[in-house]
Amino acid sequence: MSQSAMKKQALSRFLILAAVLALAAFSNNPYVINLLVVCGLYALPAIGLSLLMGYTGQISLGQSAFVGVGAYGSVLLAQHLQLDPWYSLALATALSAFTAWSLGWLVFRLKGHHLAMATLAIALILHTVLVEWRSVTGGPDGISAIDPISIAGYALLDDLHFLPLAWLVCYAGLCLADYLVRSPFGLAMRTVSENEAVARSLGIDAAQVKRKVMALSGAYAGLGGALYAHWIGYISPEPFSVAFSIKLLLIVALGGVSGVWNVLFGVFIVVIVSEWLKPLGRLDVVIYGLLLIVVMIYCRQGAVAALAGLYRKLPQRLRPGARAGLKLQGRTSA
Amino acid sequence: MNTASTNTPVTMLEVEGVSVRFGGLQALSEVGFDIRQGEILGLIGPNGAGKSTLLNVISGFVRPDRGSVHFDGELLTGRPPESVNRAGLVRTFQAAEVLAGMTVVENVMAAGVARLGEGVAGGLARFVRAGQSMAALYRMACDKLDLVGLAALANQPAQMLTAGQQRLLAAARALGTEARLLILDEPAAGLTNDEKMMLAAAIRRIRASGVTVMFVEHDLAFVSSLAERLVVLDHGTVIAKGETRKVSRDPQVLAAYLGETDLVVARGRGGVSATAAPLLKLERAVVRYGALQALGGIDLEVRAGEIVTLIGANGAGKSSTLKAISGLCKLSAGAITFDGKPLHGLAAERRIAAGIALAPEGRQLFPMLTVRDNLMIGRFSHIRAAGFGNLFRPGAAAAREVEAAMREVLDFFPRLAERIDQQAGTLSGGEGQMVAIGRALMSRPKLLMLDEPSFGLAPRVTREILELLPRLAERGIAVLLVEQNAHAALQVADRGYVLANGAIVAHGSGEELLQSSHVGEAYLGWQHEDEGTEVAA
Repeated sequence: MSQSAMKKQALSRFLILAAVLALAAFSNNPYVINLLVVCGLYALPAIGLSLLMGYTGQISLGQSAFVGVGAYGSVLLAQHLQLDPWYSLALATALSAFTAWSLGWLVFRLKGHHLAMATLAIALILHTVLVEWRSVTGGPDGISAIDPISIAGYALLDDLHFLPLAWLVCYAGLCLADYLVRSPFGLAMRTVSENEAVARSLGIDAAQVKRKVMALSGAYAGLGGALYAHWIGYISPEPFSVAFSIKLLLIVALGGVSGVWNVLFGVFIVVIVSEWLKPLGRLDVVIYGLLLIVVMIYCRQGAVAALAGLYRKLPQRLRPGARAGLKLQGRTSA
Repeated sequence: MNTASTNTPVTMLEVEGVSVRFGGLQALSEVGFDIRQGEILGLIGPNGAGKSTLLNVISGFVRPDRGSVHFDGELLTGRPPESVNRAGLVRTFQAAEVLAGMTVVENVMAAGVARLGEGVAGGLARFVRAGQSMAALYRMACDKLDLVGLAALANQPAQMLTAGQQRLLAAARALGTEARLLILDEPAAGLTNDEKMMLAAAIRRIRASGVTVMFVEHDLAFVSSLAERLVVLDHGTVIAKGETRKVSRDPQVLAAYLGETDLVVARGRGGVSATAAPLLKLERAVVRYGALQALGGIDLEVRAGEIVTLIGANGAGKSSTLKAISGLCKLSAGAITFDGKPLHGLAAERRIAAGIALAPEGRQLFPMLTVRDNLMIGRFSHIRAAGFGNLFRPGAAAAREVEAAMREVLDFFPRLAERIDQQAGTLSGGEGQMVAIGRALMSRPKLLMLDEPSFGLAPRVTREILELLPRLAERGIAVLLVEQNAHAALQVADRGYVLANGAIVAHGSGEELLQSSHVGEAYLGWQHEDEGTEVAA
């Protein structure tokens, strides 16, 4: 795709997104607005995981841990060093990226199932630490009275005010990730994903690529976690358990690897499904697991690609505008 | 001809005294040779000679125990593959390994990324520096695709390419790293003649563009038409090197390919009636793997109590034939009948119960299990067929049968009885092969198929194993033997088939084929330019 076309696409996406959010804001339905904030905050760690798993081919069940590092990191830094949440946000993001990068040295000795198990262990260990290290994390009760983020002295206390910030960050995250996968480094990521031996034979340091993407993915997760903490004002270990990792896995699997923006599709589906599953309590993980299996078996390229495929199978006359279908199909090169 | 042969040759790559040991196997010992700037060098040798290991040593994937590799005077030994590549040397892989999720041009662009040296930051900041680097990569990739003749397919998905085009793409991708030395691993394996010619033309164009080429190949016709010099490996040592014309006449090279093991076969010939109904019959069997046609419609028969051997160069379709019979791969066309019944649609495990057993290539034992357990696994499908409960505790009948089969096998291989509780991984190569055959015999097959039983064995051990086969045949078992050591296989076999490029090119009794001077040529496919001119004159 040419440069100008890319810019046009980015602009149109921004406008559509802004329109949707504005519509939701004017509806003044607190439930919808709350869900949209949740979507924006879910999207950040999901983008990171999409880069790591979708584009670099490294499975991770530990993404929830880095969200946790970001959330607790930012809150603890803000409380103990009396930092403004903006600074603690940035520091926590860096901390989470660094943690991910360090763990990359360890876990990327492994591949496939072993990598999945090692990252699962990371998530379990972090969750246990959050629960048990009462003096610092407050144990299962967590930490409350977290300072909200404020802009120019104006605290973003309610959902409606937080909504633009969450989605602005999310939009920036999506754009950066989108640029990255279309860049030379994105090619290196995809090469590593498909065949590490080939990547190395072409001079690509596969181990380094994996660690860098892991760090970036940790940064996305950490930022998402930190924003979440300052938005909700109270954190406990529960949201950062392995179940959250599985949700993120499902989001990425639903979105597929044909574009970073498809992550949003996965996010909306999973957040809506989560609402439906609320009456089930903690049993909802079972449903996520089943959904994940279904997606992995029937739409390996992601639900977006599967839907696009179904759409193309429709007879021409039933398609509202066949050109849109072609756009969905076109995967960009240069 | 080429400029390199008229000027003083400049050494580009120098391999000295390289030795590699994998467990009990000496894969390479004291290998030394050089590659000269601007030449096309062929590396040949029979299966298991150590060619792939040598390539892995040169490209940094395997660290040698001893010896060194210098490239343009720079020491490469001990450097990881990505660093070796940045020194200016690139290798391809046997199966081309195209990146199937990318387009053709993206495959080649990926090769330029490392040299570009833009990291994550460069990628994230691309909205600032409007994508010039991607455009540059795209132009570079198109140039390379043009060189191998794939420019028209640049924006196609790579997985749509035919096998021949995939090899060309692998070469173009390798060139995308701007390496000065290109090493191709079996670029022509499994290709049709037309595809081989296109590949050879592309390799010549690549050389003309200033890149030195070395390639590993089994198709010696292809090798002799392309390479100026040859290096021949056998059992991990260099047995010949020099100009192609000289090396291809070296009797040692021919012997390395055909084997020279002489057997003492104590068995009355002609014990099998030529009119007896065949136990196994293949009719116009075709096997395809994706775009590759491995078997192009072969006919083959094996009768009870007969030893039949299937010989041919690597990639001729020998293993595919065995896989088709044992049900590990599907026939695209044609039919196989066994014991009067068609095998079509019968799953692999059911075929074992029907009386077909395979001792696979490379033995495939379970190294952590004892010899007894390895043998027991060969009886699994029968125990399972006797009822699910038998898996937990075999019933009396099933247990008796297992014991009887075990006794038979141990009678046949007394050496295994001595080592019955030893871990299979601690056995010698010959004993391991005995376990592999014994495991196949545990199912009391009517047809025993052996895939390269002599692979990796010393000549004495090969002899020992192959000389056992007539005793099996005397018990009424039909033996289908795939063997690289054609010389030995033909001595032990009643009949033989010669495969080349997925078709049977010769067929006859073992003795006939052994005596026929044509087999060696058909098998190896040497092409001597001067012979061509003689015919013309």
